[in-house]
Amino acid sequence: MSYIEIEDLSFSYTGKRKILENINLLIEQGEWVAVLGHNGSGKSTLAKLMIGLLDPMSGSIKIDSTLLEEETTYEIRKKIGIVFQNPDNQFVGVTVKDDIAFGMENLLVPRAEMLEKIDFFARKVGMSDFLDKEPASLSGGQKQRVAIAGILAMQTKIIIFDEATSMLDPYARAELMDYIRELHDEGITIIMITHDIEEAMLADRLVILKEGKIHADGAKKQLLGQPEVFETSSLELPMAIRIAGMLENNDDKLKAVKEYLWEFSFDR
Amino acid sequence: MKNIVIGQYIPGEGFFYRLDPRTKIISVIVLMVAVFLLDSIYHLLVASGVAMILLLVGKISIGRVFRGLRPLLVLLVFTFVFQILFNRQGAILVNETLTLSATSIVGVLFLTVLWRMLARRGKFRFLLLLMYLGGLYLAMRYLTFWWQITTFPFVIYEDGVTMSIFVIVRLVVIITLSTVLTLTTKPTDLTQGLEKLMRPLKVIGIRSEDFALIISISLRFIPTILDEANKIMSAQASRGADFAEGKLKDKIKQVISLLVPMFIIAFKRSEELADAMESRNFVPGKPRSRINELVFNRLDVLTSVFVVMCLTGSILIRVL
Ligand SMILES: Nc1ncnc2c1ncn2[C@@H]1O[C@H](COP(=O)(O)OP(=O)(O)OP(=O)(O)O)[C@@H](O)[C@H]1O
Ligand SMILES: [Mg+2]
Repeated sequence: MSYIEIEDLSFSYTGKRKILENINLLIEQGEWVAVLGHNGSGKSTLAKLMIGLLDPMSGSIKIDSTLLEEETTYEIRKKIGIVFQNPDNQFVGVTVKDDIAFGMENLLVPRAEMLEKIDFFARKVGMSDFLDKEPASLSGGQKQRVAIAGILAMQTKIIIFDEATSMLDPYARAELMDYIRELHDEGITIIMITHDIEEAMLADRLVILKEGKIHADGAKKQLLGQPEVFETSSLELPMAIRIAGMLENNDDKLKAVKEYLWEFSFDR
Repeated sequence: MKNIVIGQYIPGEGFFYRLDPRTKIISVIVLMVAVFLLDSIYHLLVASGVAMILLLVGKISIGRVFRGLRPLLVLLVFTFVFQILFNRQGAILVNETLTLSATSIVGVLFLTVLWRMLARRGKFRFLLLLMYLGGLYLAMRYLTFWWQITTFPFVIYEDGVTMSIFVIVRLVVIITLSTVLTLTTKPTDLTQGLEKLMRPLKVIGIRSEDFALIISISLRFIPTILDEANKIMSAQASRGADFAEGKLKDKIKQVISLLVPMFIIAFKRSEELADAMESRNFVPGKPRSRINELVFNRLDVLTSVFVVMCLTGSILIRVL
C-alpha cells in the first residue's frame, strides 16, 4: 500500500478533450517528487484532482488508504495541503495571524490551541515578527511562507507546491526551497510542480507529464541518464548535466570534471 | 500604495479602543436614540457637552471628528437655509424686502461666478459658501436701483433660527457618535461585532457569518485591487492614455480600459481564492472556531450603565 495511490485517472473539463488520461502514480510517505511538464500538460489539473477541487472523470485517488470522494474530502484535506502559484490570491486572512488560523478555524481547533500553533509555526517559517501585519505590507516570499505555515498548522502530511516559487525573486525562491527541504527532512511528503529543472533537481524522483499522460517517472539519477526523455517532452536538462554531456569521454581529467558535474546536480 | 487606510480607523489607545466592538455599536445606536428623543435645544446642548467630555476622556482629537463632518457640510448648510427661509413660526426677527433688479441680478451673477471660481481652488469651501449666501442677501437687499423687476419679502422667524440650530447640533452630535465608533474600531472588529449582533437574524435565514467573511475578505483585497488598478493605469499611461485630462468621451473610454482588465483579473482572483479556501477545508455554512474572540470587560459594563442612564434620562425628560 502506498501513501498516495492514483489509479487509471482521467479527467476532462469539457467532457470532450481529455486533459489527463490514464494516470497511474504511487507515492510513498516522505517522498519528494517533482512533477515536470510544459505549459498545459495538466500538472495543475492533477494537483486540483488530488485535493478534491475537481472530480475525476474515471479512475480513483486514494490517500492513506482513503478513497477520495465527496464524503471523504474533508478528512482527506486534513492530510494534504496545497500552496498555489499566486501569493496574493491564497491569502485569506486580514493579518498573518488570521491567515495561519484560517485552516484551523475550519477544523474547529480551539482558540488556545490555535494561538500556540500559530506561534510555533510562524516561528518555524520565520514570520513571528509579522503576526499582526497585513498582506499588503508583505513580500511575495513572505506570503508564501505564511501559506506554508497555515498548512503546517493543519498538520497535513502531504504538501503540494504548484509553481509556488514562480512569482518570487531568486533570493526568496532559494529561501523557500530551504524551507521545503526542512519539511522533507521532517518526513512530510512533498509534491513539487515546477517549470524550473534546477529546482526539480532537489527532489528524489521526477514525474514528467506530457499532453495529459505520464511520459516518464523514475528516480532522478535514472531519468537524467536518459536525455531523450527530456528532449521529447521539450524540457531542458540541468545546466551541469548539459555541460557534462558535451564533454568527451576520452580524457581522465574531463572524466573527473564530468563526474563532478553529475555530483553537483545531486548534492547541493 | 502600501499604507492605505481602510475606513477611518486610526490606531491609538485610550478608553474607546479598549471597548468591545459590540458594546460600541449598541451604545452608539442607543445614544443616537437618546439624542433624537431630546426636543429642546438646551437639553441638546447639555448632551453635546457630555459628548465633548467623552471625546476628551477618550483622547480623541476633536479636529479629527470634525474632519469626519466635512462631507456633510453641504447638508448642514442646506438644512440651515431651508429652516431659515421656510419656517413660519414664532416671533418675527427680521422683516425686510428684497429686490430683484437689473443691478441685483448682475450682482448675484457676479457673486455666483466668483464663488464657483474660488471654490474650484478647493480651500475654505465652507467659508466661501457662507460668504456667498451672505453676499446674495446683501446684493438683493441694497442693489435696488435700476429697473426693479419684482420685490419679495424676506422674513426670518424665531423658530426658524432655533430649529435650524437645533437640527444642526443634533446632526453634529449624531455624526460625532458614529465617527467615534469608526475612528476607534478596526474594520475587522467592526465586522466581527456586527456579525455577533446579527446572529439572531439566523431565524429569518440570514447567516451573519457569511456576511462577516465576505466583508473581511473584501477589506483584505481592497489594497491589492487598488494596487492593481495603479499598475494597469501606469500600463495604459505608458501606451498614451491620460487619465487626468481629455474630453468626457475620452475619459469614459479610459475608465473602461481600466475596468475591463480589472474585472477579468478580479474573476480569476476570486476563483483562485475560492480554491485556496476550499483546499484549507472551508465549507460554507459549517461551524468554525474563531481566532479573534470578543470579550466583554469591566469597561463594557460601565459603558453600558452610562448609556442606559443617558437613555433613561432623555426618556424622562421627554415624558415629564
Ligand atoms: N478551468 C478550466 N476550464 C477548461 N479548461 C481548462 C481549465 N483549466 C485548465 N484548462 C486546460 O487544461 C489544460 C491543462 O491545464 P493545467 O493548468 O493543468 O496545465 P499546467 O500543466 O498546470 O500548465 P502550466 O504549466 O501553464 O501551469 C490546458 O490546456 C488548459 O487550457
Ligand atoms: Mg499550472
